[in-house]
Amino acid sequence: MSSLSTAVRRTTLYGILAAGALLSIAPYLLTLNGALKRPSDLLSTDAWAPAHPATSANFTAVWNQYGMSSFLLHTLAVAVLVTVGQMVFSALAAYALARMEFPGRDWIFWGYLATMMVPQMITLVPLFLMMRELNMVDTYAGLILPTFLGTPYGVFLVRQHFRTIPKDLEAAARIDGASTWSILVRIMLPLSRPVLATLAIITFVNTWNNLIWPLIITNSDRTRVVTVGISALQGEHVSDLPHIVLAGAALALLPLIAVFLLFQRHIVRSIALTGLK
Amino acid sequence: MSATSRRVLAATATSALLLCLTTACGSSGSETSSSGGTVTLRYAIWDAVQQPALQKSIDVFEQQHPKIKVKIELNAWAQYWSKLQTQMAGRTAPDVFWDHVAYFPQFAQQNVLTDLTPYIKADKLDTSIYDPKLLAGWQQDGKQYGLPKDWDTIAQVYNKTMLEKAGLTQSELGGLSWNTTDGGTFVKALQKLTVDANGKHPNEKGFDSKQVKQYGLALGSSNGQTDWWDAAAQNGCKLQDKAWGKWTIDQPSCVEAIQFVRDLRLKYHVAVPASVTNTPNGASLPQVMARKQAAVVWDGSWDLNAYQSSMKGNFGIAELPGGPVGKGTVYNGLSNALYAGGKHPKEAWELVKWLGSEESQKIIVSEGSVWPGIPTLNKDYVAVWKQRGVDVSGFSKEAEGTTIGYPLTTSSATYSVKVQDAFNQVWLGQQSPKAAADSVNEASNAAIK
Amino acid sequence: MTDNMSVAVSSPLVDRGHRPPAVPPGAPAVERHRRRSRIRATVEAYVLLAPSLAGLALFLVAPIVGVVVISFFDWNLMGAPHFVGLANYREMMGDSEVWRAMRNTTYYVVLNIPAQTVLALLLALAMNRKLRGGKAFRVLFVLPWMAMPVALGIVWSWAFDPQHGVVNQFLALFGVDGPAWLSSTTWAMPVLASVNIWQYTGYTMLFLLAGLQAIPESLYEAADMDGAGPVLRFFRITLPLLRPSMFFVLVTNTIGSFQMFDTVYVMTQGGPGGSTDTMNYHIYQQAFQLFRTGYASALAMLLFAVILLVTAVQVLYFRKRTVYDFS
Repeated sequence: MSSLSTAVRRTTLYGILAAGALLSIAPYLLTLNGALKRPSDLLSTDAWAPAHPATSANFTAVWNQYGMSSFLLHTLAVAVLVTVGQMVFSALAAYALARMEFPGRDWIFWGYLATMMVPQMITLVPLFLMMRELNMVDTYAGLILPTFLGTPYGVFLVRQHFRTIPKDLEAAARIDGASTWSILVRIMLPLSRPVLATLAIITFVNTWNNLIWPLIITNSDRTRVVTVGISALQGEHVSDLPHIVLAGAALALLPLIAVFLLFQRHIVRSIALTGLK
Repeated sequence: MSATSRRVLAATATSALLLCLTTACGSSGSETSSSGGTVTLRYAIWDAVQQPALQKSIDVFEQQHPKIKVKIELNAWAQYWSKLQTQMAGRTAPDVFWDHVAYFPQFAQQNVLTDLTPYIKADKLDTSIYDPKLLAGWQQDGKQYGLPKDWDTIAQVYNKTMLEKAGLTQSELGGLSWNTTDGGTFVKALQKLTVDANGKHPNEKGFDSKQVKQYGLALGSSNGQTDWWDAAAQNGCKLQDKAWGKWTIDQPSCVEAIQFVRDLRLKYHVAVPASVTNTPNGASLPQVMARKQAAVVWDGSWDLNAYQSSMKGNFGIAELPGGPVGKGTVYNGLSNALYAGGKHPKEAWELVKWLGSEESQKIIVSEGSVWPGIPTLNKDYVAVWKQRGVDVSGFSKEAEGTTIGYPLTTSSATYSVKVQDAFNQVWLGQQSPKAAADSVNEASNAAIK
Repeated sequence: MTDNMSVAVSSPLVDRGHRPPAVPPGAPAVERHRRRSRIRATVEAYVLLAPSLAGLALFLVAPIVGVVVISFFDWNLMGAPHFVGLANYREMMGDSEVWRAMRNTTYYVVLNIPAQTVLALLLALAMNRKLRGGKAFRVLFVLPWMAMPVALGIVWSWAFDPQHGVVNQFLALFGVDGPAWLSSTTWAMPVLASVNIWQYTGYTMLFLLAGLQAIPESLYEAADMDGAGPVLRFFRITLPLLRPSMFFVLVTNTIGSFQMFDTVYVMTQGGPGGSTDTMNYHIYQQAFQLFRTGYASALAMLLFAVILLVTAVQVLYFRKRTVYDFS
């Protein structure tokens, strides 16, 4: 009796989890499925009806004729640069804040904490003006710089992790005459892989998906990133070429999924790990 | 990650940044580049339908000016103005761009447009070839801020097969009239053209307004130009008390027109529901026609090529119906304007001059794209469409009759931002015409500078 | 980033000190050496901090100062700015659209946060049992987090289409006649909130799950011996010990929710009838469609103040019950 009810409960639980999982991926599947349909089938078949026959023509078209290839390339370049920059500069600052003694440290730390609450919208107009005066409107520098040197969030994340690393390791290295730099590179960073991976993925995803800053600071095809490209594509063609818009959307969504699935073991664990203490 | 690979990564990042800051990323993407004496101009437009014809003209321009390249930058109407103004604020606006009467006064005030008068004088350009009304539209304080690109009016585009099936002719469709009591002959004709799943018409018993197979009419507009402004013109409503004056869309004649457009959908059930056609995400008018959801649409001449590509000559043009006060349409035109902050004003002027030239406009006309800014070419436009089996004279006949233009005001940006959402609510039956007109009118007047 | 809160009682890591070791007063040479090394350490620390601090100062602090200044001006970014004193703030107080945007934003946060947090907690509790395939589920649940809102706009609009949308087709199975979601002033905002809940529930679950896994098994065993049932166990042990994670999740999600923009931009543009015109969208519109940057800056200050206030309330609420270690 009790084992039966356990079995029922287990099945129910799995059922709910499976439904949740399906719901989680359904929008992706609908996008991909729609992108694979022929234009004539798209409006005449149900959204979930499998693309049959499937076609890659929509992808070819959006890739070649609607500039998707260059949007993706631009986004990739921006996201990689911002991610690398954030990791490097956050780690440097985090080490100073976590491990070094110097006047003003606590003030600076509280400064980081306080600015974490600043909404992005508040900085837009001044940042735009700043970029204009620096002649960086519609440049990659303008796109990248505001987040390249790290965000308070990133510094905080890494700093909190550094503080969990036992000090003895460091002290031993110091006695051996190791410099601050080599302690950071040889001891702290290797022990912080999960948190750095987390920072990397969070930064990459946020930069990849960021709409509002590129929307304002860029305007030519040379700097157009995928969020702006997709929203322009939608504005222009959502009613007459929905298959093209869907193919574009699929191309915008899938790279992140691919990266995620490739590294999912590290990422899920590391996000979870940063939550542990 | 090993320590070495991390060091490599850090080195890469640093060098990438340095490289980036010193070279490619530092130079503006929108900066008009000039390499080896070749200048690349940026030319901003909003209509994808017109792009192919325009590109043909530009190809010829580039042949004639081997040292100038032109890159068309297309942004949909819904994003064009926000983008263009952001570019102007960022001092990176395109060298040449499509300008509109709605925004021209504001731009002139902000000194972002180049006065063409000195160029016109220096090149001894004959501006008498243009329609004087169009040319004057781009003047302010004795300065000329653009050369006429085209003109347009709104007419009824209809599906030939559907019209025949309902037993109507083009001249009948163009001779209808509406009133605010029973809708008049216009609504009667649309009732004939509207059919539900059981073959019933809206004036018949048992008509199911939830299962309509084909609607008589489709309307859609982000600002009113292709829907209620025309009804307003037919009802004697003036959008503005005088040029540069106040908005007056809260006047009874205007509100009645808005009410009538609303009733076409919600009272008579002869027009496609707003949830289908409403901007920003609704279906475009050519799209509604391509899907055979409606027999007639009110649309501008600029969309003719869109209908041609999906309906292949199975469409015709009839004049708009008359209203309580008579016939009326919105008359408008665009210009090519020269950005005042550009780095290559001479080359940009060459482009503006070319786009305004008879040679270029002949190319545009031969593609059937838009009515030309040079009136002597109008007959060629008619001829092109006659060859395709479409009589487009309805547009020009309307242009000779009663017309209203876009209000001349500096508050069009505010009007555009407010009007779309407020009027969508009217078309959905969730706000009264009077309330919507009042709120938009008030906000737009408050924004006049 | 959850580790900004460690429960003082349970954390072995609290106060891994920064205090200099108590050194007996040494000889002057040692003293001199120490001072020199202190100066060196300070220089080193600031060198390490320099890029990040420069970023903070240039791209965060300076813009905040800038926005305060601009909020006292009337400026379209092109002509000369006009000083207007407090006029923008006065206009803001009497602007019904601003208060509507504020109400909409609050409504969105209220729709969003409780539902998302409860769902994430339930999901985390389920995942905390050692289930087979738990890892796979975890991966699937996190996938929505990385979705680009602009790219999914078209699919959402279709899913909520009144006639052909998946949602209404599903409801029709139960005989429910679904509304025209996105053109209804009643339903548009809940739709946007559910899109957000879809996107962030799995991600939130990860943090809560990490919090759950950090709760020592021994506590539950002790409770079992006392004969506490599952409900009591949840309220006496799980929930209190989950507070740090809860705090983090609530604070960051609330701050995030107040800044919703992309979904509005691509799906509703503030409509219908202004029912989804959130503060962020309204500020964007004022700044980059109407170019009233002074007014937009005043609105941004209002939004910032509200976020600060709400965060402060959350901090105070949790402080009474939790000890955290920010140091």
